[in-house]
Amino acid sequence: MPDHTRNGMQCNEFDLLLSDALDGVLSGEGLDRFQAHASTCSTCGPLMAEAEAGRTWLKGLTEVEPPASLVNNILASTTGVDTQRLRTVARAPQPRVSWWEQVQASFLEPIWATVRQPRFAMSFGMAFFALSVSLTMLGVKPADALYLVEHPSAVRRTYYNMQARVVRSIDNSRSVLQLNAALRFIKRTPPAEPGPSKQKERKNDTTQQPEQKQERNYSQTGERLILASAPLGPSEIDASSPELPVVSVTTYRRFV
Amino acid sequence: MEDVQVVAMLVRRCIAGDAAAWEEIVQNYNRRIYNICYRFAGSADDAQDLTQEVFIKMYRTLSSYDSSKGAFVTWVTTITRNLLVDHFRKTKQDRMTDSMDSTASEHEDAQPLSEQIPDQSAPPDARVRQREVSETVHQALGKLSPELREAVILRDLQDMDYREIATVLKVPEGTVKSRINRGRAELARLLQRTYRQVM
Repeated sequence: MPDHTRNGMQCNEFDLLLSDALDGVLSGEGLDRFQAHASTCSTCGPLMAEAEAGRTWLKGLTEVEPPASLVNNILASTTGVDTQRLRTVARAPQPRVSWWEQVQASFLEPIWATVRQPRFAMSFGMAFFALSVSLTMLGVKPADALYLVEHPSAVRRTYYNMQARVVRSIDNSRSVLQLNAALRFIKRTPPAEPGPSKQKERKNDTTQQPEQKQERNYSQTGERLILASAPLGPSEIDASSPELPVVSVTTYRRFV
Repeated sequence: MEDVQVVAMLVRRCIAGDAAAWEEIVQNYNRRIYNICYRFAGSADDAQDLTQEVFIKMYRTLSSYDSSKGAFVTWVTTITRNLLVDHFRKTKQDRMTDSMDSTASEHEDAQPLSEQIPDQSAPPDARVRQREVSETVHQALGKLSPELREAVILRDLQDMDYREIATVLKVPEGTVKSRINRGRAELARLLQRTYRQVM
């Protein structure tokens, strides 16, 4: 604001008195000087008119209504309870509660409420069943547990006994025995000659003839086998020798 | 609004853990705080959130209130104003981004309020007209700088005296008066420009 002096009043002083003048608390000589300055100063006169208009606009604004849920939200976010519950708690006399009831209310009841759930009971039952089956399979008896409690030095012996029992049960199982037999058979068998194994050849044997004879039959078609693996394609082979033996199909399968 | 001793007793009860006393405080002051927040922030949603924040802060710092230093309503208004300033600073970056995104400038010379208001040719119903005028003034209030806005809100909408406002804003009384004058004048200029466009 410019600091002009008109009618014995500076613009800064006018600015300070403007609020009081609009509030109606300015009177007497001060009001006369104020009005004289306003009528002559090109800055303060319009300022006064605008300030008065602005004040009128603002006074026309009415209070807005807060949302109905505001109080409840505030109480919930501060005290953590809703209004209705707060009122009930405030009005109702608080009965005396013993320490055991407090423990029950704060600790035991939540646990019991969880335990009572059918899902929890089912899970607990399954876990107990699995544990009892495992212990039975391992040969653990309740009497053993009592014995261990009474004789702590027997823990090691019990451990080795249990380990030996587990090892025996694994060694005696059917699959392990079969595996051992197969390994022994492999060790005894001499190293196989290169070429197709007899087991595989036997699969194609539909003649019910002795094994030696079957080998001979294959040896008879040996020449044909070499022809089949020649660089010439099957079509050219057909062109040169149209009569191929029936066993050539088997030959192809063996060389693929 | 408040009898000093009654309020002091209420505060003491509240500090002692009386939930009913706290509820009474909330009932007495939520409307006032909500209105300050609404006029300053401009939106009802923000006002609701800010009002809750004010009460949360009050609830936590209630023991720091000293009745010998000032009225409870001044203390409450100071908390509200401080939170509003924080909120304004936090959202300043967002507003700057918004103004960059928008095609028209938010400056008063660039876009008069009449262009932002849907339709000024209101139906002849007086209540509808009054609501539109209030909305126009509310929007114009939001265009003021925060310093001028808070001063006119506390004076013209909350009817606080200059000394209380000076305490809340932590500025001398002369500065308060100057801000109020400039705020009112600025608001009138904005509204005159708006209605000149309409007429």
